[in-house]
Amino acid sequence: MPVLEGAIIYANLIVLLSLGLTMTYITTAVPNFAQGSFAVFGSYVSLTLLRLHGLNPIYYLIGEPSGKEDFFKYIMTSIPISFVLGGVLGVLIYVLVLKPLIAKGAEVVMLMIATLAVDLILLGCLGAYAGYLGSITKKGAVKFIFTPYDINIGPTQGIFIVSILVILILLFSLFLLLYKTKFGVAMRASMENPSLAVIMGVNVEYTRIFSWFLSGGLAAVAGCLLPFRQEIVPATGSIIIVSIFAASIVGGLGTIYGALFGGYIIGISESYITYQLSTVFGPGILVYGKVISLVILVITLILAPKGLTGVRWRKIWRRSTSS
Amino acid sequence: MAQEYLILNILLWIGFYLIVALSLNIEYGFGGIPNFGRALAVLMGAVAVGSLTNRILMLYFGIGGQIVEASGSIKTITNDLVAQNPAAGISLFIISIVVAAILGSLTGALFILPSAKLSEDYLAITLLSISEVVFMTTYYHPDIIGGYYGISVPNFFAFIPGEQRLLLFAVLSLFFAFLTYLFVNRILTSPYGRLLKAMREDETVVKTYGKDVMKIRIKTVAIGSGIAAVAGALYSMYAVNVIATNFSRVEWTFYPFLMILLGGLGNSRGVVAGVCAFVTARITLTTYKFEIAQAFNLPFDPVWLEYILFGLLMLLILVYRPEGIFKEKPIYTKPVKKVLKKEGVLK
Repeated sequence: MPVLEGAIIYANLIVLLSLGLTMTYITTAVPNFAQGSFAVFGSYVSLTLLRLHGLNPIYYLIGEPSGKEDFFKYIMTSIPISFVLGGVLGVLIYVLVLKPLIAKGAEVVMLMIATLAVDLILLGCLGAYAGYLGSITKKGAVKFIFTPYDINIGPTQGIFIVSILVILILLFSLFLLLYKTKFGVAMRASMENPSLAVIMGVNVEYTRIFSWFLSGGLAAVAGCLLPFRQEIVPATGSIIIVSIFAASIVGGLGTIYGALFGGYIIGISESYITYQLSTVFGPGILVYGKVISLVILVITLILAPKGLTGVRWRKIWRRSTSS
Repeated sequence: MAQEYLILNILLWIGFYLIVALSLNIEYGFGGIPNFGRALAVLMGAVAVGSLTNRILMLYFGIGGQIVEASGSIKTITNDLVAQNPAAGISLFIISIVVAAILGSLTGALFILPSAKLSEDYLAITLLSISEVVFMTTYYHPDIIGGYYGISVPNFFAFIPGEQRLLLFAVLSLFFAFLTYLFVNRILTSPYGRLLKAMREDETVVKTYGKDVMKIRIKTVAIGSGIAAVAGALYSMYAVNVIATNFSRVEWTFYPFLMILLGGLGNSRGVVAGVCAFVTARITLTTYKFEIAQAFNLPFDPVWLEYILFGLLMLLILVYRPEGIFKEKPIYTKPVKKVLKKEGVLK
């Protein structure tokens, strides 16, 4: 059971990350290569909150696992703060880097290179910040993991319940926003057909900025929970970016639902299938989880380049039933 | 002495990076293929030396066992052999380069296959993902190039005294860079070069004229990757050691992109200028990094500062000077030059 639980936690986080990636791809037409570093940014925000405004300093000083209250206090403070700071980061990157380039009519490759540059700058900033944080707290901050701080809620891990709650709340709010508000209608309109939306008087710029805010925010929330699953170093972003891209492409970069499907497919297969394979081939195979993601990505690109949501399932169904 | 070392080091890296940047310029500058997986080809060069050449030597000397342990004894035996027989060393060097180029081309042709029909953004994502996953695999799997322990590579120039090694490799890397330069210019002025530029500008036109875009892409990436792998092989033989972490995306994909954008896309003169400027800045920065850290009292490793600086430089280039130092010029083939001279356009 813990394996499946771990797979679901991981899949939830990948969904958050690929949702953001797909959203900014739809509005700005550029795949954001810095999405992984957005997540690591969130991880460092939560680490800072933990180290500097320690939830219960005595526990952390003597290195003992924290109690229930601390876990919930951590979740209650870190997630909203990471979300807002991550969102601000996303908006800053759009306004300072991508907007001027788009205004100059830069090609998509130039925009992609710009996000690669942003990724490198973020990596440098995070690494430098980790060194700085380590020097002021006298405690290594370059590598960290939160699993000792996790608690048990009933028979399962706290992080399992929390990650499910987080994704349910975020998806529900996103649904309400997109389908029940005027702004959401405008946003969907400018995602589906920007030129028509402009004619109807929608300010496409707002929706772009907002999508970058959401993307950065969702990524930072994922990053806030990621240390409960795996060790974080400043370069973690460049490793998880493969899973994020795989999830978004497998689902289809064209729609938000794609990110949802793709995220669960990639997240679960990366941890669960790898685990199943390891029972056959031995534990050495566990580190190759990303190979599974890559294989799924390549198969998708060959069979259905537009992703699962781009396949006309009804047509295939009709054809297979008629023949 | 320190200054001499610095200059030789700069020359050595200008050679390595020139080979890689020129190869990327064929693919991206001329062909418009955004190869975000350039590091993979360089890594393949290292695999050719660390894994294939080492295995050949293992068979030849009849050494069994795991490659990580065997590479140590191979190193001692080969170094002794080469010290007495320079010809053997030189032929091993040439074999390694050839093997690297072949392995690089094969990998390049293979890894572009799933994405040969895709649009630019999907292409870039796929190439980056493949490169990143192969990088991770070579890092985790000890049987390829020793995983996180790395692997030893024999010194094929053991007959040359140690203090002249750096000079030798600076000359070698510049020599191979010069060959690449000639080759790239030859390609550019050939019909194939013009076809590449046509593909970059408009694939539909190329298709209309009956050319297979997928085939051109495969061919181009195969050529580019073969060249880039030579740089990886040279670097591994210089370092006498191969470890996956030396072939990161930042160093072998991002920096080459930075260099060709700095110099100017699609022209070799620009690439040379970009590589020289970048390498001089970078090597100076890394050589004096501890002095810099002390001077500013940095509480962290200055390598992070390097990332921030070069990332910012890239953004500045993209926003303020996307055409680079030298602008791309139209291709003048001999007949075109003749006509232009007659009309007085070209002197």
